[in-house]
Amino acid sequence: MNNPAAPSGMAPGTPPVLQLRGIGKFFPGVIANKDVDLDVWPGEIHALLGENGAGKSTLMNVVTGIYQPEEGETILDGYGQTFTSPQDAIRAGIGMVHQHFKLVQAFTVAENIHLGWDEAPRLASPAVMEARTREISERFGFPVDPAARVCDLSAGEQQRVEILRVLARRARLLIMDEPTAVLTPEETGELFRALRAFRAQGNAVIIISHKLDEVMEISDRVSVLRGGRKVGTFRTVDCNPSMLAATMVGRDIVRRDMRARPEGAAPIAPQPIMQLRHVSVRDDRGVDTLRDVSLDLHGGEILGIAGVAGNGQRELTHVLTGLMARTSGEIVLDGSVVDRADPALFAHAGVGHIPEDRLRSALAPSLSITTNMALREYTVPPIGRHGLYDAGAAGMLAHDIADLAQVRIPDFGMPIRNLSGGNQQRLVARREIRIASRVLVAAYPARGLDIGAIATMLGYLTDLRDQGVAVVFISEDLEDLLNVSDRIGVMFHGRMMDVIDAENADIATIGMLMGGREPTDRQPGGPQ
Amino acid sequence: MTVSGSRGRLLTTRREMLGLAGGAGSSLLLPRHARAQAQPAWRRPLAESDAIVAFGHTGPITDGGWSMVHDRGVQAVRRTFPKLRTIYVESVPYSADATRLFRQFVAEGAQMVMATSEYGDFIKDVSDRAPDVAFMECDGTNVTGNLGWYYVAHWYASYVIGIAAALMTKTNKIGFLGAFPIPSVYASANATLLGAQSVNPAITLQSITINAWFDPQAATQAATALADNGCDFLCGIMDEPAYLRVAIQRGLKAAMWNTGMLDYGPQAYVSSVCLDFNDYYISQVRNLLAGTWQPDGHFLTLGHGVDRDAWGPTVPPEAAARADDMRTRMLAGHNPFVGPIYDNHGRLRVPAGTALSDLEIYHSDWAVAGVSGLE
Amino acid sequence: MATRAFQRLPTAPAGRILALRLVAIALSLCIIAGVLALSGHSPGMLAELILRSTLGSRFGLEDLMLFMCPLLLTGAAVTVCGTIGLWNIGAEGQFYAGAIAATGVALGLHGPVLIMLPLMTIAGILGGMAWITVPTLARAYAGVNEIITTLLLNFIASLLTYYLTTGPWRDRISGAQVSTQRLSVSIPEMWGIVHWGFPVAIVIVVGLALILSRTRWGYEIRIGGANPEAARYAGIPVRLRIISVMLLSGGLAGLAGMFEVAGTVHRLQGGMANNFGYLGIVVAVLARGSCLNVIPAALLMALILDSGIVMQTQQLSASVILAITGLILFMIAIGDELAHYRPVATKPAKGKAS
Repeated sequence: MNNPAAPSGMAPGTPPVLQLRGIGKFFPGVIANKDVDLDVWPGEIHALLGENGAGKSTLMNVVTGIYQPEEGETILDGYGQTFTSPQDAIRAGIGMVHQHFKLVQAFTVAENIHLGWDEAPRLASPAVMEARTREISERFGFPVDPAARVCDLSAGEQQRVEILRVLARRARLLIMDEPTAVLTPEETGELFRALRAFRAQGNAVIIISHKLDEVMEISDRVSVLRGGRKVGTFRTVDCNPSMLAATMVGRDIVRRDMRARPEGAAPIAPQPIMQLRHVSVRDDRGVDTLRDVSLDLHGGEILGIAGVAGNGQRELTHVLTGLMARTSGEIVLDGSVVDRADPALFAHAGVGHIPEDRLRSALAPSLSITTNMALREYTVPPIGRHGLYDAGAAGMLAHDIADLAQVRIPDFGMPIRNLSGGNQQRLVARREIRIASRVLVAAYPARGLDIGAIATMLGYLTDLRDQGVAVVFISEDLEDLLNVSDRIGVMFHGRMMDVIDAENADIATIGMLMGGREPTDRQPGGPQ
Repeated sequence: MTVSGSRGRLLTTRREMLGLAGGAGSSLLLPRHARAQAQPAWRRPLAESDAIVAFGHTGPITDGGWSMVHDRGVQAVRRTFPKLRTIYVESVPYSADATRLFRQFVAEGAQMVMATSEYGDFIKDVSDRAPDVAFMECDGTNVTGNLGWYYVAHWYASYVIGIAAALMTKTNKIGFLGAFPIPSVYASANATLLGAQSVNPAITLQSITINAWFDPQAATQAATALADNGCDFLCGIMDEPAYLRVAIQRGLKAAMWNTGMLDYGPQAYVSSVCLDFNDYYISQVRNLLAGTWQPDGHFLTLGHGVDRDAWGPTVPPEAAARADDMRTRMLAGHNPFVGPIYDNHGRLRVPAGTALSDLEIYHSDWAVAGVSGLE
Repeated sequence: MATRAFQRLPTAPAGRILALRLVAIALSLCIIAGVLALSGHSPGMLAELILRSTLGSRFGLEDLMLFMCPLLLTGAAVTVCGTIGLWNIGAEGQFYAGAIAATGVALGLHGPVLIMLPLMTIAGILGGMAWITVPTLARAYAGVNEIITTLLLNFIASLLTYYLTTGPWRDRISGAQVSTQRLSVSIPEMWGIVHWGFPVAIVIVVGLALILSRTRWGYEIRIGGANPEAARYAGIPVRLRIISVMLLSGGLAGLAGMFEVAGTVHRLQGGMANNFGYLGIVVAVLARGSCLNVIPAALLMALILDSGIVMQTQQLSASVILAITGLILFMIAIGDELAHYRPVATKPAKGKAS
């Protein structure tokens, strides 16, 4: 394990593209990386695996010069290097594509490619830049429209622009952080083909991922980080997903049968807690983002929502939590029609909401942890009384939430942005579960989490179900959906294609519904 | 002929004006000290080497106008009393900061504070709390136990210049620039126009106030506007000579204020209301040192601190002669401000047979018939 | 060795900021002393005079408090607005509006002080609020940038004051320049020339700090300022909160104008705001968003302003004092930024030390 396996077929004496030796990086109160050694050889795709907060992103930020390590050295092609800025790393042939794209939305593809590029011609007309971009695009096999504005592109297309930006600057080592998180399966396939082509030219790729299947599919070797330290590097051919998962979390994952109720669990209530009746939403541009959706949410039941991202899940979430007004239709909560879209009203009625972009919209990053934890309960005793705000009671609440979320917090008065993203996410989830006495709407609650944390999160959902809460679980991960949901609704173009029993559901049917096709035959293989 | 160096005795109009609040009960700045003294400190003789006299100027002493004239007075004091210490502050704003500056003078031990411009409450509030310090306010109105005022009776010189203006204008329109619509500005505009109308009753005067004593840009704009309106003779009360430049450019005539400005533009220069505070300041400091200073109101009169400057080279000799004729009569005691005088709303302000006193002119708040731009 | 031995942290601890600010002030004082010595002044004598005329005498303390009174309120006005993430650049204009409204009451009505003062106070607050109403509604309903709108209204308010004090309201009794007549009502004096507006301003600032940290409304304002999206997510009526905060801010600045007119100047006067509205922005920046910090920030600003008065009597012109003020604030800004940096222990890399 301590002797990382070198890839075969290298000429003797060929140095690794990148060698890290004893890298250490510390933040106040946190060891982000310690004693990390890593070799990346030419012509390999190297996967970096680890739980949230395992130090993957920090390590890559060290490699790309965003952070300077306190310990250790970075060796490129056998020579020691110190990067004081990302530009240094780019000049040395290291390029990174971040999970959140760093593109100028209002610029065209060609302008983004040429932005801050020292090889860009000094005086270039749009036509020249677009021609250059087209040439680069063809050379590396990533088709893009040079004249298109980035804001009009899909996530997959934006990612191609990001990759091209890096490749155009002659990167030999491409680092990708969670590249498939925003891609459709088809786009993922295209990306992998392109990465293999890039590898075939003798270049190297480091790919940070949580998705074990993809790691198995794309990588040549896998390095696993845990708690800021490297656990080991393995040849992918020697690995299997469960063994990788076990290495990542350092323990065996208990997969419980999550649809089965334990003793004493609340049964599925016959009367729905919340109902949507023919609800439609039209956005500012006049596009129908939700079309005629009818749903019944029953206590003690998990309703899974499947679908490719961007098919109305966001609008459904917002309508269910009072953030967005419906254009037509009715929302019935506990038997009475709700006319106003008022998130506070829904929250007080016991509707919890784990939003998709929770770090951006569910937290105030510059305010204290205590303040953020009080966001859902500041109007109710013991925190809110007679228009006052009891900071002491809010502090106790924050302690309770942090304990439940198993997040260790040295100082509740520090800004919540000082916590890692994973910890912020856990705190938000726990805060919302606390108030979800009737309904919990969880949009992609497992996104960005590692396997251990996903299991915990799904456990939260089933616990709530067992307490008689109606859970709406929106996810892209069919396996998770099938594991916990009692029913699964599939969305396409704002429509609820169908709501099917999870027990009888099969992936093929769901896949067809996700693609917008009504299954012509409900009994696969049956006679026409 | 300028008045600088004139050694004539000060002719003063002394008039005790009862202030609202004297020294009584207003002693918080130096409380214990004040209560212990039956008599204020300035009633006792003071050694020259112990004396501190503070001056607060409204503009920079390099303004080439009002503040420079007063600074000449400060320099004269220094020459006369070499052991005495003078302190001064330039550009004292007309705001609560003025109060702070005058308080600071007191805190630094000044026995006499001269405000060389009107500061109203800002100086009175300080003087009420510092009864041991002698305060004088130029262009002021208050006389209290330790605060007096002094001013130049500049309207005689303005009247004389008005006569010359009447003989030089072709459009019969005089342009007048003032800072604010305050009594001095009314007095100057009225006197100039009355002087002009004594020659030609058809003459009118257009006035613009620019809300600043020292703002060359605004003054230039205002002067240009007056010229555009057909005024071919510019005069006014400004602390800098911007409108003289406009007169040069537009081929007009201009009479100035504060100092002689012949060198700035002989082709346009007519004369100026020249001021000289040297003798007055020296006498005040001498009184302070002798323990004989008294708070009261003084006018520096024609020939004794205020006069017209020597006529410019383009002034026709007959105009100069006719104006100087009046000046001579004034020096002999003639008051030209006699009724009937109507204001610019048509009201009879001064009936026939009566004359305006200096103090009445000093408190002018109305404009004579023929003035526009001043209510 | 790594070329950079310092690392920037997203938040700086308050203790470090305070320490670095003290260093910054000390350093700027050294620079100023050096320049003064080179230009022939005696820094020691000047320092002694300044200390004696500010903190070192009752006379100086009175002046400091009088300076602090409007700064506390305008600083609080900008700070409160900043809590919800908005910049009220128009405290100067609201100050004038409050002063105008209070003066209008004092000139137009006659009655006992016990009735007049509360009426003038209410008028001052309402005047400030009225002056910020249009920027408030434009911000809340049309998303118009409040920085521009509040700023532009300053000029209008200032010119309106000039118009009133040279026109309809000008002093026809003593002929004071650009002033109304002396108001018959004034805020009683508490200690020397310090009027009761000063302790009231302190109480208001402390009260605001409590309101922001200890009420539901304050909580909602803080959330709305830190992340409007999170506020909407929590069902906070952000628009209403923006309106209430901006009106409060305008009211505070208006009250500052009323205090100044009724407590210090006793007349409405052109130019009487004396930049207190703009200096309120500086105070708010120094206070770093905390209402309680407005008190020491206003004290520092008052010290600087009062030192300026002292130095003017020593033949340092007002523009030199402006430059000195700028230098001190500039150094403090650098100190604040440096407080975010933490020295990083760097071990020389083996054989690669450069």
